[in-house]
Amino acid sequence: MRNPLNKRFFRELKSEAGKYIVIFLFMVLVIGFVSGFLVASGSMVAAYEQGFEKYNIEDGNFSLAYEADDKLIATLEEEGVNIYENFYSDEEVDSGESTLRVYKNREEVNKICVMQGELPKTEKEIAIDRMYADNNSIEIGDVLVLEKKGYTVTGFVALSDYGALYSSQSDMMFDATKFGVAVVTDLSFDTLTKDSVNYCYSWTYTNPPENDNQAKEMSEDFLESLGKNAVVTGFVPEYLNQAINMAGEDMGSDKDIVTVFLYIVVMIIAFIFAITTGNTIAKEANVIGTLRASGYTRGEMVRHYLAMPVLVLLISAIIGNILGYTLFEGIAADMYYASFSLPTYEIIFNAEAFLLTTVVPVAIMIIINLVVLTVKLRLSPLKFIRRDLSTRKKKKAVKLNSKLSIMTRFRLRVLIQNMPNYLTIVLGIFFANVILLFGMAFPPLIENYGKSITENMICDYQYVLNAPVETEEESAEKFIAGSLNTLEGKLKSESVSLFGISEDSKYVDLDFDEDSVYISSALSEKFGVEKGDILTLKESYDVTEYEFRVKDVYYYPAGIAVFMSRDMYTSVFELEKGYFNGYLSDSEILDIDPMYISAEITEEDLTKVTRQMETSMGSLMDLLSVFGIVMFMLIIYLLSKIIIEKNAQSISMTKVLGYSDKEISSLYVLSTTIVTVASILLTLPLVDFIMSKLLPAVMSAYPGWLPYYVPFSAYIKIVVAGVVSYAVIAFLQYREVKKVSLNDALKNVE
Amino acid sequence: MFLEIKGIKKSFGENESKVQVLKGIDASLEKGEFCVLLGPSGSGKSTLLNIVGGIDNADEGYISVNGEKLVDMNEKNLTKYRRKHLGYIFQMYNLIPNLNIKENIEVGAYLSDNPLDIDDLLKTLGLYEHRHKLPNQLSGGQQQRTAIGRAIVKNPDILLCDEPTGALDYNTSKDILKLIEDVNKKYGTTVLMVTHNDAIKNMADRVITFRDGVIRKNYLNENKVTATELDW
Repeated sequence: MRNPLNKRFFRELKSEAGKYIVIFLFMVLVIGFVSGFLVASGSMVAAYEQGFEKYNIEDGNFSLAYEADDKLIATLEEEGVNIYENFYSDEEVDSGESTLRVYKNREEVNKICVMQGELPKTEKEIAIDRMYADNNSIEIGDVLVLEKKGYTVTGFVALSDYGALYSSQSDMMFDATKFGVAVVTDLSFDTLTKDSVNYCYSWTYTNPPENDNQAKEMSEDFLESLGKNAVVTGFVPEYLNQAINMAGEDMGSDKDIVTVFLYIVVMIIAFIFAITTGNTIAKEANVIGTLRASGYTRGEMVRHYLAMPVLVLLISAIIGNILGYTLFEGIAADMYYASFSLPTYEIIFNAEAFLLTTVVPVAIMIIINLVVLTVKLRLSPLKFIRRDLSTRKKKKAVKLNSKLSIMTRFRLRVLIQNMPNYLTIVLGIFFANVILLFGMAFPPLIENYGKSITENMICDYQYVLNAPVETEEESAEKFIAGSLNTLEGKLKSESVSLFGISEDSKYVDLDFDEDSVYISSALSEKFGVEKGDILTLKESYDVTEYEFRVKDVYYYPAGIAVFMSRDMYTSVFELEKGYFNGYLSDSEILDIDPMYISAEITEEDLTKVTRQMETSMGSLMDLLSVFGIVMFMLIIYLLSKIIIEKNAQSISMTKVLGYSDKEISSLYVLSTTIVTVASILLTLPLVDFIMSKLLPAVMSAYPGWLPYYVPFSAYIKIVVAGVVSYAVIAFLQYREVKKVSLNDALKNVE
Repeated sequence: MFLEIKGIKKSFGENESKVQVLKGIDASLEKGEFCVLLGPSGSGKSTLLNIVGGIDNADEGYISVNGEKLVDMNEKNLTKYRRKHLGYIFQMYNLIPNLNIKENIEVGAYLSDNPLDIDDLLKTLGLYEHRHKLPNQLSGGQQQRTAIGRAIVKNPDILLCDEPTGALDYNTSKDILKLIEDVNKKYGTTVLMVTHNDAIKNMADRVITFRDGVIRKNYLNENKVTATELDW
């Protein structure tokens, strides 16, 4: 015979339809989204990892000042590598709107994945990166103007060495609107201007390294040999190449974040279920006592009350997973495609996703509820029959000051009686606030970053030259641009811009001396370097180290930078006195031949991080804000509903005594209101503190620095969103109070 | 001897507030005997019933059913004992509100390897037409009949009844007593019934009266009447 108690499940579902539907839909959406995310990222990561072999991705690339001859190539290949030409040219599109890095079609290394259309076949055709095309609304068949020549777009592609469209390794972020990659025919490439060609070569090892440590050693050996034989202008081993690795690393870290997020949600839902079940047990105490007295075991009762939460979660997980594979997988993939230039992939069944979104949440639900139920049902049958559910010997009533009005004391009693519910509300609001703060503070954080970069720019134009060329431009001021790397430590080694500033500079007003430097605020905050510290940096392409004493921190949020006088620069790097290789200027310099300009840095270059983050994360942040509010409402709705249900008899009795619905609501609903509003306000500083520690920890994995900033308006928005959503819940609670019948006072009084 | 109650002592509270509810109870019942425990409130009769039912412990003494001592049983075995031997009826019916009448009885049947036929039992209880109704759609008497059905469907050896008519009117109480009497006769179930209604002693085979935690009288009722003949 099947346990007849099981017949209660369906009826319980029906009688508490509102509650279960809300939880079910919420969990389906959360699990569906997480499952979709994991399936998409799992499939994409698999495609990405297979891509290394499938597209024969390089083990590194280097750029030379001049084209290598056959002899040099042969010498280098003696080091156990195969060298491939991978020349490119950065071309302005449509008169400077954006830049396309144009390559020849690759057939041996870093092969191309055609996402749509086809590769170019004629001299006037071009295939461009899919993401760049999306961001600039370019369609197949459109004509792009490069170097005054028109090229028809024949297809959208993903270059296997540009999963993330970084134009430079020193970029904190890529900008797939202003920068993209493209492929033209060999013939077409040769007609592009020779001056802008970058002599880039890719290499692969004949015996590939087994791990990053080995890759590091091998690349250092290779660099040493390369440096002896050629003038190296760029060198990036694959394991350090952000353009190749960023997508894979990001998808990996997203998985952890999304999974942890799911588990926190499941834990909160599990606590809500535990409180609900606790309430049911209190309501059904005499029945439980009778059943136990009749011979039902404690285990049978535990299993009975455990079944419902597990069942609801299991069904949510199964349906969520189905939606994950069908609906949400596409949404998650689109989010990745909006951020990265990934090749095509096939959906693969992800056993780990099933484990993480079904088995683990169900296990969490079982463990939390099992613990709570075991404690609750530990009492003897007699205690249940007597409705004596206190686990401790005798709970003394908390003494309240009799000078307080009876209404205040009543409210305090409601608070004390429902402490577990209110604690879960506080916890839920805390977590919802974390999500809300993330969703609402991120856009202004990015905006503030962009603004502070713009406001604190050294000048409107920075020119880095190939040769020291003079200019007539009056606002131009000579400076020296260079770069070193930080040492590998807790944080990855990253590039530091060096500025050699002229004496009495009108752009950088600092009191330089001969043996100390100023560091940018970004460098100071990220690496924790302070005034008076010794900063050690190393050459990018060899092991030479330099030590600088930090005179002070200069407020410059735009980059990881070190400022020193030109004299000190020339002395440290043994350059001739008066040397310069760039100009700082507030006006565009028009009298220098572009062939002498190796880089021109404007406001647009410095703020690309903000644009890319807005493009790739804007919709996710909106989604997070909505999710935070939904979660906030759900938690308060469920827990406040329990409080009303639990007190239905007392509410009914107060109605019998002659209290109005409004007065009763002021007793029961106001208590929840006080807890909710106090929680919103009091958890915010804690949430803010956690975020101020969390965000830098997350950001430290990326090059550059994004300072933590939350405008006061974001807190106001969170409080307003919380209060307005709570007003809806308070109204629902008021309706619940109104619904309590006068008869309840007379029913079930045993 | 089927049920032996030997030297049972039980107290509640500690130190100054300690109250000895049972002060050494000795009694025995034969199988199929109908025994009424009479006494005023607080005399210890419900406490004794709960100790016999294995849902409360004695401080001293023991209960033995068919030679098996409850005191030797651990929690698991006590549950088995209740499952196998006992049916419980309380003053408040303690039915499961969201199971219908038939299902509430099935809850009892589930515990037994050899339950009574549920439909037959529903007919005997006069509940067959109401079997699809929920408890709150029934009168108090009908709910108590359901509780009796749930207790006896597993065909227990002992039926423990704690004030089964305490919340019912005169006629309904007599109906319920008649039903318990029928169960006792039909199935040979040993009945141990706690009541403070003096009239009910007349339908019992044995009457035990309590006062202040001790047995005042324990005798076989030679002038036994049927439940229908009872009056109070």
